[in-house]
Amino acid sequence: MRRSGGGNGQYILTGATGFLGSHVMAGLLRQGRGVVILGRPSQDESLQERIERLLRWFGCEDRAGLCECHETDFLATRLGLGGDAYEELCNRGLGIIHCASDTSFAERNRRRVMQSNVEGLSEILDFAVASGARRFSYISTAYAAGTDQRECPEAPVSAAHFTNVYEESKAEAEGIIARRCREGKVPCTIIRPSVVYGDSVTGRSLRFNALYYPVRSLQHIRDIYLDDITQHGGKKSAECGIHINGDGELYLPIRIFVPHEGTINLIPVDYFTDTVLAIVDRPAAETFYHVTSRNPETLATLVSYIERFLNITGVEVVIGPSGADEMKNPPEELFDHFIRLYRPYMADRRIFTREHTDGATGGALPPDLSYDIFQRCMAFAVAANWGQA
Amino acid sequence: MNDVLKTAKNCRHYAMCKIDFLGTGLCASGAERHYVSFYPQGRMDLYAALAENRIPVTEQCVEIAESCDLCGRCDYQCYFVTEMRPTTVMKALKGHVRRYLDRGGVAAAAETDGILDGLREIVGDDWATNDRAIALTYSHDPCPLAEPRMPRYVIMPGSTAEIAAVVRLLKGHDIPYAARGNGSSVMGFVMSEGAVIDLGRMKTIAFDEKNWLVTVGPGVAAFDLQKAAVERGLRVNVAEPSALVCANIMCSGLFSTFSASYGTAADHYIDAEFVGHDGEVFRLSDPSAPNLFGFTKEDAAIPGICSSADIRLHPVTDDEGAAFVPFESLEGALDFARDCAMRRIGLAIGVLGGEYISVFLSPTKGLAARVKDAFRDRLKIAYMVLVIGDRYALRSIREMGHHYFDDRMIRILNLGLPSLTTAKWLDLMDELADDDPFSYLGLKQFPDLAEAALAPSPAQLVGDVDPELRPLFEKLYARPEMTDAVWLNMFRILSSRMGREKHVLILIIYLPIDNTLITEINGKFKEIADRHGLKNDYGFITPIDNGKRCVFEYDYYLDQNDPDEMARMRQALMEAGMMIERYAAETGTVKWIRYLFCQGFCRKESFLYAREGGDQ
Repeated sequence: MRRSGGGNGQYILTGATGFLGSHVMAGLLRQGRGVVILGRPSQDESLQERIERLLRWFGCEDRAGLCECHETDFLATRLGLGGDAYEELCNRGLGIIHCASDTSFAERNRRRVMQSNVEGLSEILDFAVASGARRFSYISTAYAAGTDQRECPEAPVSAAHFTNVYEESKAEAEGIIARRCREGKVPCTIIRPSVVYGDSVTGRSLRFNALYYPVRSLQHIRDIYLDDITQHGGKKSAECGIHINGDGELYLPIRIFVPHEGTINLIPVDYFTDTVLAIVDRPAAETFYHVTSRNPETLATLVSYIERFLNITGVEVVIGPSGADEMKNPPEELFDHFIRLYRPYMADRRIFTREHTDGATGGALPPDLSYDIFQRCMAFAVAANWGQA
Repeated sequence: MNDVLKTAKNCRHYAMCKIDFLGTGLCASGAERHYVSFYPQGRMDLYAALAENRIPVTEQCVEIAESCDLCGRCDYQCYFVTEMRPTTVMKALKGHVRRYLDRGGVAAAAETDGILDGLREIVGDDWATNDRAIALTYSHDPCPLAEPRMPRYVIMPGSTAEIAAVVRLLKGHDIPYAARGNGSSVMGFVMSEGAVIDLGRMKTIAFDEKNWLVTVGPGVAAFDLQKAAVERGLRVNVAEPSALVCANIMCSGLFSTFSASYGTAADHYIDAEFVGHDGEVFRLSDPSAPNLFGFTKEDAAIPGICSSADIRLHPVTDDEGAAFVPFESLEGALDFARDCAMRRIGLAIGVLGGEYISVFLSPTKGLAARVKDAFRDRLKIAYMVLVIGDRYALRSIREMGHHYFDDRMIRILNLGLPSLTTAKWLDLMDELADDDPFSYLGLKQFPDLAEAALAPSPAQLVGDVDPELRPLFEKLYARPEMTDAVWLNMFRILSSRMGREKHVLILIIYLPIDNTLITEINGKFKEIADRHGLKNDYGFITPIDNGKRCVFEYDYYLDQNDPDEMARMRQALMEAGMMIERYAAETGTVKWIRYLFCQGFCRKESFLYAREGGDQ
């Protein structure tokens, strides 16, 4: 374990091994800030090893000296830290950026998600108060706004209905954090990004869920039928009307059912990182910040990108409910099943105001998702085998 | 050790070459001469003994060697089970004997004696012998707890009267004996330095459908009996296909996944005939007969030789099918299995682990290893509960909220196994795993997609089988029954593949379906074997008696030719035995199969619910 430098700009960071947290870590390090990382080891690696691996991925090995790792358990008393370490960290009074989160949408994981995202706040908030933290910044989600209203202000959540347990847990967490920080006189900032994808400039990403998952699903389904046609005579493909057309594209008749018109709100991770760093360093004028796009994409646009990227055709967006009986072929049924957890985000009608964010960033907006950016990100994902070993 | 000798010494003694389970025909000399010595199993032992100069070339040794016509059928059968090719051994045996004779060697004649003459008088000249070449093939099995014992005589009686006369003669000369079925229990029970009475000639099967029973002779193998029953649209509950039914009941009481509904021990038969130690013949239904329905917790001696049994027949409906219900944990699988048993859903129920599933379905070791990884790591399947039932039972499973691999999916999966191990699209299952890992099985058209993705075919499945055997295996897997879970569970021709990589020693206990207790004992079995560096794995669990109890099998594996591993196995078995005894004493509900040995005709209730200390 190393002691970090960085003076007043130093932060305590949780969730540094996750997608968003790791980018925040790299952003801070690139600014020459010291980062005290609180996190867990994995089955095979210590926290230190996990961080070193990430630093290599970010090309920040030379900043390793700015990192200080403490293996912690957010559910354990005093974070599971030894008495001396806890006291010593407390005495530093650093700002805290809390990125750690369980991102499962699955209802069957409700207990785990609530434990991690809600119950797991207690000790880190106690620590923030005990240490007189400079600021407690929490990475939430724009979708903590719930489903009760279309216009979502940068304000406390008032919704009672959510798409999934993840959103619900984040909303509950926001309330707890705001209250505990108010009581403990710790300035608090709640940052709500929408759906985050890879780096818009390099295309790089560490995680390949969200935007990537439907693309990856379609790529695998495409490959199944390409194999069937090229290796096995194409009988199964023909049964579904799947064929290679005159332009060499695979005609893959798949309808994507969405309940209504809407858009998908996407931001690249480089924009997310820059914005978070701008917000956390800002004097505590506001509490809530939406890190979202003003020009969310339509699903139709995304489908056109996907078709072009995968050299397929036949994918169609259908407005209206899908029913199992309506599934016209096996790939359509499987794809529909694969995307069911993401469907609410594909036709979203919520509008996220972002005056506070604009104020913090001087109005810097995320780039629109062009085909070039899309292609760059997906090409990286394919080259990285979608993160599979 | 050269490869031929290695093959010979690795014969598992599962007796699968004594039944025509592939429909390729039996070894002709074995079917004619009946002594195990004339089957590939016996020839493997015989060659190993000759190569190591443990016995001389005898007259019957010459006969055994020369009666092999090198038809190659044993390659099909043995490769199917163990991936070994015995034909190389058969050739070597013939070569060894021929060279010996060509060099002027003289085949040793067995010396006759008065006892042998007496035995031959009873059973006929061909069916009693003291030739060392034959005796050797009855002298050992891979059990690490049993010392080899060379019998003075091997006798093959042809009737109950002959058994009785043989027993009387042996008793009159104070010659100990062991009765032998196919010896496929491989627990060292069927050896004696006196005489071995091989019952393999008594193969009568007589159906009495009006009374739902079939009378079987002691030489009838499970596979052959099931085949005869199925031809009549009926079913019997039998276990390993090469096990002789009477011997199997006697040895430990037989059980299978069908025991979930058909029971075990005395549930299998209506009556049975025995030859007692004095040569007297009695039937269990006689009021004055010894009480074999009772049970005593002690290492019991054989109560007599079972010379026939009236086995129960069971009806079969034309809508039976199988469901393989996947689970991520043993606890989830146990809950479901117990629920089915208590609600009497399904005829056969078994909680299977990854080792069984992958080994059973795969024609080669290499594929089995890859399949095991794919099931565990990619499909997230740690356990599967097999349920066989009619359409109402299968519908109930869906209504209970479970997705499962049905008959069609099982066939697709089995014939597409090689593709499954390399399928990139399985990566998508990671994402599903977070939500409902097996929900895809609920999609109506998933089987069609799986067919496109896996391109299942017999040719694909046997892709890494030895090229010479591949055409036969391709034809074999084109048969519907080879991917029919109902048929496969009735005939159990796949289960002997458990011993493909190494000989398997099974540890069996009966206990309540108590998740905590089972998980704990499962962990202890593993811990013991791991400590001794032995390959081990969970076997299976089958509920019995409406889910009040279950049969739990855990498996230890050993190299039967590695003295060090044999020694470690002995130590591990001793520790496992002590562990079982401890649980038996502490719980009063854990029962060890050890005490069923030679008491398999007892009522299951006498065994399962007997209070510790014999207080029933």
